[in-house]
Amino acid sequence: MTLIPITLTINGDLTQVAVHASQTLLEVLRYELRLIGTKQGCDKGDCGACTVLLDGEPVLGCLTLALSCAGRSVTTVESIPRADPLLESFDCHGAGQCGFCTPGMLMTAKGLLAKEKKPSRDSIRAAISGNLCRCTGYGPIVEAIAAVGEGTVQPATEEKLPPPLPSYGAPRK
Amino acid sequence: MSDRLIGKAGKRGDLIKRARGDTPFTDDLALPRMLHGKTLRCPHPHARIVSIDTSKALEIPGVIAVLTGRDLPERFGIIPWTPDEHALAIETARFVGDGVAAVAALDERTAVRGCDAIKVLYEVLPSAVDLDSAITRPEIGLSAKKDDNVSKAVDLAFGDVDGELAGSDVVLDGDYFFEGTAHVPIEPHCTLAQYDASGLLTVWSTTQVPHYLHRELSRVLRLSPTRIRVIQPPLGGAFGGKSEPFGHEFTAAKLAMVTGRPVKFLISREEEFYLHRGRHPMRLHFRLGAKSDGTLTAIDARNQIDGGAYSSFGLVTTYYSGQLLSLPTAARSYRFSSTRYFTNKPACGPKRGHGSVQPRFAFEVMLDRMAEKLKLDPIALRRKNAVGGNTHTINGMRVTSNGNLECLAKVEEASGWKERRGKLGFGRGLGVASSAYISGTNYPIYPNEMAQSSVQLKVDRSGVVTVFNGASEIGQGTDMLMATIVADELGLPLEAIRVVSADSDLCPVDLGAYSSRGTFMNGNACLTAARLVKEKLIAAVAAKLEVPETSVFVTRGALCVRGREGDAVPVEEAIQLAEAKFGALGAVGSYKTPPNLGGEYRGGTIGASPAYSFTAHVAEVKVDVETGVVEVVKVWCAHDCGKALLPTQVIGQIDGSVYMGVAEALFEEHLISPNGLHRGPNLLDYRIPTSLDVPQIHSMFVESLDPEGPHGAKEAGEGPLHSSIPAVANAIYDAVGVRLHALPFSPGRVLEALRQRKA
Amino acid sequence: MLPLPEFTLHSPRTIDEALGLLAKPGAMIIAGGTDLLPNMKQGLHQPEHVVSLQHLAELRAIRVEQKVLVLGAMTSLAEVAEHEDVRKYATALAEAAGTVGGPHHRRMGTLGGNLCLDTRCRYYNQSQFWRSALGFCLKKDGEVCHVVEGGKKCVAAASNDTAAAAIALEAVLVIRGAQGVRRVAAGEFFVADGARNIAIARDELLVALEVPRVAKRVSAYEKLRRRGAIDFPLLSVAVRLDGSAVEVVVSALAAKPRRINGAQKLAATQVEAIAEAAARECNPMPNIDGDVAWRKQMVRVMVKRALVRAIGAAQPST
Ligand SMILES: Cc1cc2nc3c(=O)[nH]c(=O)nc-3n(C[C@H](O)[C@H](O)[C@H](O)COP(=O)(O)OP(=O)(O)OC[C@H]3O[C@@H](n4cnc5c(N)ncnc54)[C@H](O)[C@@H]3O)c2cc1C
Ligand code: SF4
Ligand code: FES
Ligand code: FES
Repeated sequence: MTLIPITLTINGDLTQVAVHASQTLLEVLRYELRLIGTKQGCDKGDCGACTVLLDGEPVLGCLTLALSCAGRSVTTVESIPRADPLLESFDCHGAGQCGFCTPGMLMTAKGLLAKEKKPSRDSIRAAISGNLCRCTGYGPIVEAIAAVGEGTVQPATEEKLPPPLPSYGAPRK
Repeated sequence: MSDRLIGKAGKRGDLIKRARGDTPFTDDLALPRMLHGKTLRCPHPHARIVSIDTSKALEIPGVIAVLTGRDLPERFGIIPWTPDEHALAIETARFVGDGVAAVAALDERTAVRGCDAIKVLYEVLPSAVDLDSAITRPEIGLSAKKDDNVSKAVDLAFGDVDGELAGSDVVLDGDYFFEGTAHVPIEPHCTLAQYDASGLLTVWSTTQVPHYLHRELSRVLRLSPTRIRVIQPPLGGAFGGKSEPFGHEFTAAKLAMVTGRPVKFLISREEEFYLHRGRHPMRLHFRLGAKSDGTLTAIDARNQIDGGAYSSFGLVTTYYSGQLLSLPTAARSYRFSSTRYFTNKPACGPKRGHGSVQPRFAFEVMLDRMAEKLKLDPIALRRKNAVGGNTHTINGMRVTSNGNLECLAKVEEASGWKERRGKLGFGRGLGVASSAYISGTNYPIYPNEMAQSSVQLKVDRSGVVTVFNGASEIGQGTDMLMATIVADELGLPLEAIRVVSADSDLCPVDLGAYSSRGTFMNGNACLTAARLVKEKLIAAVAAKLEVPETSVFVTRGALCVRGREGDAVPVEEAIQLAEAKFGALGAVGSYKTPPNLGGEYRGGTIGASPAYSFTAHVAEVKVDVETGVVEVVKVWCAHDCGKALLPTQVIGQIDGSVYMGVAEALFEEHLISPNGLHRGPNLLDYRIPTSLDVPQIHSMFVESLDPEGPHGAKEAGEGPLHSSIPAVANAIYDAVGVRLHALPFSPGRVLEALRQRKA
Repeated sequence: MLPLPEFTLHSPRTIDEALGLLAKPGAMIIAGGTDLLPNMKQGLHQPEHVVSLQHLAELRAIRVEQKVLVLGAMTSLAEVAEHEDVRKYATALAEAAGTVGGPHHRRMGTLGGNLCLDTRCRYYNQSQFWRSALGFCLKKDGEVCHVVEGGKKCVAAASNDTAAAAIALEAVLVIRGAQGVRRVAAGEFFVADGARNIAIARDELLVALEVPRVAKRVSAYEKLRRRGAIDFPLLSVAVRLDGSAVEVVVSALAAKPRRINGAQKLAATQVEAIAEAAARECNPMPNIDGDVAWRKQMVRVMVKRALVRAIGAAQPST
């Protein structure tokens, strides 16, 4: 399989990576670049766990060819700062339990909030309808995103950040 | 402590790290030289393996090793009495999707090609892919003795059922069917195994039962447990689907040992449906008797359970299908007869509300019918027959705290039941149901007298306390709970607490995240350990200030002396004083169930629990009589969790349970075609609800303060699912006057029922 | 992960270049990839060459001309759904596009890809393993059809939401090939063959859809599905009203969307009769879902609902 070098912007960093034609963006992000924040739940377009922003638009990483991202800008969940109102809002509202759908939800929400400053709950429900969550029943997610639009969450300050828990010793290449 | 964190709405603690990729899940782990494994699966529902030729696979560049069943001959199974699985099938494969060989290769593509190159010769055997054929064709011989297809049969009777039925004013019969459903956590199963140069096998796996996995790895690999370390990374949901050892966990380990390289198995979404262990399909026949004043006289239940290819937890499932019918609404007598059959389908197991969700559906619908027959309000009927607190159920289970009536009152009030039921016009209706569930099981899965849960605290002189606990964080928030309990006991800020969980080398044993045992058992163990440390801090401070120990107490940040408010000693300093006085600081705590929780008969301990949670639901539905589509508009759920230690998490568990119940009520069915093939092993065909398909959920908790629970807490993760399904069924009746007997309530079924009603 | 088979990706900059590449044996077009890639992951297609239309900006525009609305093949479904002129002149099409999959699929998926969507069947849209366990079928790698016993022709369902709408709106597909441009009416573009239900050669390129702009024309689309999103149609109904003249198209039945003949003789206001005609003419098969009886019953209901909405839209607002 031929490897083809491409250049793309990932979370603001100009990044060079060699990929082959049959690799998806999700594969390259997770397994080549080790940006493991983006998750895989089905790998065929059915669940939304792999949502990232491509030139600002939420798309499915598992149905995007990596090669087709050459010269474009990819934003993953790792770009979200620790003290971000959306993250804070998710945590306060219990909008994530296992947290596995959360990266995709966050990126979908980012895409929505970039377009609509103050989305209605209906518009939020529609926007996240391609992201499956099995833990929350969606209600808290809708509320968390709405609260950001309504400006009722403050970004966490250093003291208000969640505690450094738990502590896992896990190998990562 | 007055300013306790316990009981206050708060954050999850680890969510942000999980969400941003800081906390790696299992598939996020990678090791140098890592290989990728794939399993070759059997394409027949039942087949004898005549021969396997792996030579072509091994010729493929990049394929490093191949395994077949003979490489792992030891049987395993979560229940020690029914080990009937092999990591890879040896002589017979029992369902479409059963593993028969495994390949480790340099990358996944090559591993897939390796599997494709393996030639297996099968002799296809007769198969039973549904309950009927399992019952009527014993010659298929799927049981251990091969003379029938019975996996487990339980018959238990309490009181004089026949006499009571004969003396009843009303007796109702009902036949119900619950199609199986799957867990569908968004995170697929994944296992990474490493066998290092010293001969230590480390297995990272998506498991809810790391301790049982440790034991079974040792048995199947014939490797001393001293040479195995099991680590469970945080899970992306489980719901019972990761609560027993799976074939790929052994093949990953074995391949790592054979190749000397780390091996990872990432299970595909399709394979998820083959690993399954989802909710059992059940055919339920119920008979319910009552006096005209509403006294329930007898319950007579006969359940046929479709178990799939292996035993899994089936022994327990079979008991649970009847044992939990004695709470919260009981009859004067009751009996059940449940038989679990093997079929050539993916094995069923425990899903949120193990074994008891299906009979709960049948029973609560029967109650609704009985209330109508007796012209009683369904809530009143439940009240009249409610089992109280501090008592024993008819089948001998000890009940302590019981918030059932409060739960009923809450949903009655919140939903406007009295004013609105029956008055919403044709097409719209309200339905009620209630249920109870265990907070952990009486006994560990393998008989032993040791603790069921243990926690170890290490106290650092910097003020950091590390909680080592064996419990499995699967998304439900146990890590945060442990941290909060310790922070409160010792007056420390949350940020000073670290939690290390589910690592067999570092953490004391906890049996796992099943049967809603975490908060109760692990919480108690943690509280005990924290109190031991607290005693030492108090002793050290008392000695230093020369005051009696009884006058020292902990507040947030400091230890104070009653009556001498100026003399506060910061916790960090207290820790140092204690370390100086007692040496290295730490403590262990453990929890074991008290004796005599269940009945004194065979099986009397199964279903017995140190405490029970209680739930009531009211559902409001809208039925489109033209399309048959049922929309669940709103669900009110009140749940007695004992004490909401982390209220945001408790509400989240209730929300999630209601969501899952409504999903099962309306959408989900795990269907296997007559040819043994799964009807659609993917997330397009197996429809779980999207954000546009869920009701508004109004979750409330009731705090009955259990005398034995940590700070009074019980469970919240499974109980609130049970009665959501019958509440929907009863609401449909209120809306359009039809009783649905089979799940899910698909539009076709609703229309058919409406047609029959008209006819 | 579900590895994609190996292929070479081409990203031509002009239509001519694209046509040249499509002449290679085993070449396939990728637009949004939301149909092609999952199918490739399941082993349904193994193209040696994949030709991406990503850089053909000229295929991406929506133009309002005097007589027609021209929608480039690469226009995203999201844009088709939201575009004001499409909503106005081709309401059914906008509505149809707006019901495809979930928001991500509509953002990535294109109109051209939707019109050229591979037919679907529960015995076909499965993994290689699953299909091998079944023994494959006529459409791919096998000899028999599992939907129609003894059937010699694949009856997989046209499952694209926009097909029925395009036909109802008398849209024309603009196709480029080595020989130049040809135009095919949507009503003729879809053919009754589940193996390939589109009348376009593999080396041709769909460049645009032209929808006539007709004064006072109204249309509506109804989709039967179980979930609010991420669900292919179980039935797909488009209706068009020109005064009292009515056209009803029902799809997600078999390979070819069905124009309801009985409707053409009736006036739009005869809602019940039209729905009845549709119910008579449409016979869903167990190709995309098991509950055939329900789908059959729903033909009447969906047709009625689409008609009632269209009639409502035709009424001059007071
Ligand atoms: C989970 C999921 C749910 C979905 N739900 C729906 C749904 O509800 N309704 C629905 O209609 N679809 C659905 N889809 C399918 C798909 O997303 C859409 O049909 C989409 O419009 C396809 O467009 P695309 O650009 O992504 O097509 P591609 O995948 O790029 O192409 C599809 C086919 O068309 C051919 N093709 C593409 N463009 C051209 C062209 N210009 N000329 C000639 N041939 C061309 C390709 O070669 C390929 O064979 C779903 C997909 C997924 C994964
Ligand atoms: S209709 Fe028949 S031939 Fe066509 S895909 Fe389905 S099973 Fe195969
Ligand atoms: S992993 Fe991409 S949609 Fe599921
Ligand atoms: S939080 Fe677990 S899947 Fe959404």
